[in-house]
Amino acid sequence: MNKKAALLFVPALALGVAVLTSGPAVAATGDASYQGTLDSINGSNGSGTISIQVSGDQATVTETVSGLAETFDGKPYPHVQHIHIGAQGVCPTTAADTDGDGVISTTEGQPSYGEIGTTLSTSGDTSPAAGTDLTVAGMGASFTYNRTFTLDAATAASLEAGTAVVVVHGLDPATLSQAAQDAPSDLVPSLPLAATSPALCGALSASQSNMPIGGVQTGGGSTSNGADIGLLALGAGALTAAGGAVIVRRRLAARG
Amino acid sequence: MAAPAQKPISVTPSPEPIPVPPTPQVAPVVGPIMTASEPTQINIPAIDVDSDLMQLGQNPDGTVQTPSLDEASPAGWYTGSPTPGAIGPSVILGHVDSRVQGRAVFYRLGDMRPGDEILVTRADATVAVFVVDGVEKYPKDNFPQFTVYGNTDHAGLRLITCGGEFNETTRTYPDNVVVYASLVSSHAA
Repeated sequence: MNKKAALLFVPALALGVAVLTSGPAVAATGDASYQGTLDSINGSNGSGTISIQVSGDQATVTETVSGLAETFDGKPYPHVQHIHIGAQGVCPTTAADTDGDGVISTTEGQPSYGEIGTTLSTSGDTSPAAGTDLTVAGMGASFTYNRTFTLDAATAASLEAGTAVVVVHGLDPATLSQAAQDAPSDLVPSLPLAATSPALCGALSASQSNMPIGGVQTGGGSTSNGADIGLLALGAGALTAAGGAVIVRRRLAARG
Repeated sequence: MAAPAQKPISVTPSPEPIPVPPTPQVAPVVGPIMTASEPTQINIPAIDVDSDLMQLGQNPDGTVQTPSLDEASPAGWYTGSPTPGAIGPSVILGHVDSRVQGRAVFYRLGDMRPGDEILVTRADATVAVFVVDGVEKYPKDNFPQFTVYGNTDHAGLRLITCGGEFNETTRTYPDNVVVYASLVSSHAA
């Protein structure tokens, strides 16, 4: 594919820049980690975070979003989401609304964030072909997404180049002008414009820090292990930085 | 930042290439930045902390290691974070107390205030000087991972310890205290 050659060329240009800003490499294994903050676009008032751990050709995506449109035709609102690649690696500003309808459509945003490289689908195909399949979208106002899948070369190259951008789609039509509410989607004309327009956007960049797991298992269960009570008592003042698996960590750390 | 509006000729997932701009975005860097060098000591005059620094990695379950509670432990630098002075969120962890040593190295961390200085001596014989931006307390079961460990546009430092009221049943503290600081200068050790 010609497109692939073009994409591979971009990283070479971008790498010199990325080194200046991305800080120390995180992992010694050759694996990489990326992160992004998902910000509201088109007045969605949603927010979220996403991190992507790449190990070989496998990508593990951990994403949390909230504050999005909740229902669509009385059912949980399907928010299709993608990693867009190969353009400027930024989220569009209102200047991208070239038709002036008050909505930055997915197409209008493409000069900023590029085309779909990977569909963050909940099951099955993760290629661009699944990009508008509503049945594998994130559902409802808030959701978490955790999935490991095989990363394609083009998306991998864009991640490395710092030009990958996550876009979560789907607006509440009530927040749009009447004209925009009545407009068809630029992607799937049978759907309204609101359904496919960007609601969250976040540029991905190499993680400066290898984020520890911030679990939610504080003190869970292990207190029933009598033999450990003394040690646990010692652990009274242990800091538990990331919140999770407190007891396990203390035991492991005790000999550290 | 926005490219000149180019009339879209197709919609995704068309294979038509998007025009590639010559210069990808450059994240702005705020304030001074030092080259990477591992930290060896931390000194916090405002709360009388003067501690060697050990190195802490991750446990097999992906959580961050903590210093030993069997003896009077120093604070520790989390090796998965940038070295203090480099761009990004450098993390230094310390106990608030323990049965062995009573008050531990970061016992008074919650007393820190914006403007307080934190001095970190590094292996390259330089001292990174940080100034506190803020002090926050978070419930451990709702720890803001991205706020604490997420990318920054400056050389940041986070000091972390336990907080809240000790729970005698779970033998844990419910909260973490996090001190946020930024690099302001550096000098020879």
